[in-house]
Amino acid sequence: MSTVTLTIDGRQVTVPEGTSLLHAAQEIGVEVPHYCYHPALSAPAQCRLCLVDVEGAPKPMPSCVTQAQDGQVVRTDDGLAREMRKGVLEFYLINHPLDCPICDQSGECKLQDYVHSEGRAHGRGIEPKRVFGRDDFGGDVLFYGDRCVMCTRCVRFMEEMAQDPVLTVVERGDRAVIDTFFEQGLRDSPYAGNIVDICPVGALVSKDFLHKARAWDLDHTPSVCPNCSQGCNIDIHTRDNVVHRLKPRENPEVNGHWMCDYGRGRYEWMNRGDRIEEPFVRGDGGWSAPGWHAALASLRERLEACRGPVRAVAAAHASNEDLAALRELMDRLGGGDIVYRSPRAPDEVPLPGFPVLTRRRDLAPNTRGAELLGLRRVGSDDATGGLEEVAAGAGALIALADELADQPEDFGSRAELFVYLGAHPAPAARSAHFVLPVTTFAEQEGTFTSVQTRVQRFEPALRAAGHAQPAWQVLGSLAASLAGRPAPASASEVFDRLAAGVPEYEGLSYDRIGARGTAVDRPAALAGER
Amino acid sequence: MAISVKLVRRPEAARSSYLRAALKGMSLTFRHMVNPRKVTRSYPEEPTELHARWRGTHRMEVHADGRPKCVACGLCPTVCPANCIRLVGGEDDQGNRYPIVYEIDEFRCIFCGMCQEVCPVEAIHVGQHFENAEYTRERFVYDLDRLMEQEHPVTALWDPSDPASE
Repeated sequence: MSTVTLTIDGRQVTVPEGTSLLHAAQEIGVEVPHYCYHPALSAPAQCRLCLVDVEGAPKPMPSCVTQAQDGQVVRTDDGLAREMRKGVLEFYLINHPLDCPICDQSGECKLQDYVHSEGRAHGRGIEPKRVFGRDDFGGDVLFYGDRCVMCTRCVRFMEEMAQDPVLTVVERGDRAVIDTFFEQGLRDSPYAGNIVDICPVGALVSKDFLHKARAWDLDHTPSVCPNCSQGCNIDIHTRDNVVHRLKPRENPEVNGHWMCDYGRGRYEWMNRGDRIEEPFVRGDGGWSAPGWHAALASLRERLEACRGPVRAVAAAHASNEDLAALRELMDRLGGGDIVYRSPRAPDEVPLPGFPVLTRRRDLAPNTRGAELLGLRRVGSDDATGGLEEVAAGAGALIALADELADQPEDFGSRAELFVYLGAHPAPAARSAHFVLPVTTFAEQEGTFTSVQTRVQRFEPALRAAGHAQPAWQVLGSLAASLAGRPAPASASEVFDRLAAGVPEYEGLSYDRIGARGTAVDRPAALAGER
Repeated sequence: MAISVKLVRRPEAARSSYLRAALKGMSLTFRHMVNPRKVTRSYPEEPTELHARWRGTHRMEVHADGRPKCVACGLCPTVCPANCIRLVGGEDDQGNRYPIVYEIDEFRCIFCGMCQEVCPVEAIHVGQHFENAEYTRERFVYDLDRLMEQEHPVTALWDPSDPASE
């Protein structure tokens, strides 16, 4: 590919032919302010904020659509460019209500950022501002027309990505406003929540997040969406150990810049307060809470003494490390069947403009990982039933992360030893001999393997409830003590053992998986590249 | 090291006599007897006068209809160096953002007045008030209703009599 070399702000940069000035500037770390331009959408060059001074050009050029030319001299930061941006920003503020104190975007607002860094200190407008009030767009989206800067990113997202053009600009001049046709709203478009993310100001806000937290108070933890097997890269936004929202994290190979509303809205379970916080052991005198050390020691004794076959039921919500530790423990105990249940939706919901991103049928994040570990799927599409075989026999029965909600209260009562590892109390675990608290995915480190057979890491966003421990730690230390090895010290150590045992994961480690995951169908030699 | 001796001469009688100091002190005493200048206040019968910029316990301003002026923007808990403000925002039935929970722990508060300075709607103020005796420690966590009930004058951000302080 031929390249061009140009000068931006006195620095030379070489970029492929056809690169926009905005991207070329990004190459050398110069961020040209912009609203209407979004890397995944078309560029209408209408916000007039990315204007830069190009030597020889008769007038300022919009950098988002101007292609870099050989020998061009571009200034983004000198008097003229700054003066232009200052003027454009002043126009934006003519009708902007400046209600930052009550605006949810405050703290992550591009208008706020740009005006603070380059705008005028005081407005000069004396005319009253026009007022639209707010409009309910349906779904999770609320529209504050006064705050809008008319970048039309939302209009273009619905047109180009969702391919469901329900938004448009109505009226002209200062009465121009984004609206839906005939008050129809967004008609429950399954990806409409993304217009809140791409809105550079507080015009489109999430109803669910409305007034809940300030942007600067939120901690962002890179994670993977746990609501289907697509494995969208997300950031979990938490404050004071409470999850407040999920936001997509860019990954061009999985979800682009987007995520679906189905995944976005399902996070409340991570905040559930009904948790098992102590390991419980059922003895002759009823339940006792002897602490982890004693509980695991007595569990180990019971496992060694147990003669019958060992069976396990797991959930595909558990991480690869958890399942690998379970597999290893089972192998150590003489091998046995591990079954899992996972919910399955009737259909897939693709994003038409970026079809790689699809809300998959499998609604558990790690079904592919469970398959690769040799787990067998049982039960129906709503993750019920199918456990008759497992519950029937004597011997040991291990339940991991499956809440057994559909099972009778005497589930597992025939087993000689019934161990329940879960985050939340389960009525069906009443006849368990050991109830061990484990963390949810949001409280531990681990990996999921997505439907594209892509291994992706997630990090702990919350503190573990009570004395809960990750399942890989509980099961891994049991397996290790049975084998006379030291217990695994970290999730990455468990993954390394897993990678050595499963051919698809060969050569993988946490470092090689990296922040955006690795597809494992590629040769292992290439797996480290991203 | 050899010991050296330093001779110190006794001061002369004119300098060492206490008489001069005693007379000086007594002259002040007698002067006050003739021309008394009262400095002792009979507090609490006579209330103390506080400066315009005195920063004491908080007060929340209210609208005419009794709603708090606070819009739950979250700037005061953000700026508070003592981390003594707890705020949970929400939306009232008229669609206004308002504080569902607004609590100030007056024990943790260091009375820096930054909450008042940062407030974009002039809702929270530190006040000209310092008499805060309570029977329990819990009572020192002022909730929204308590803050709105306070009636003492609020602190001025600068001394009106000293324009240079602005």
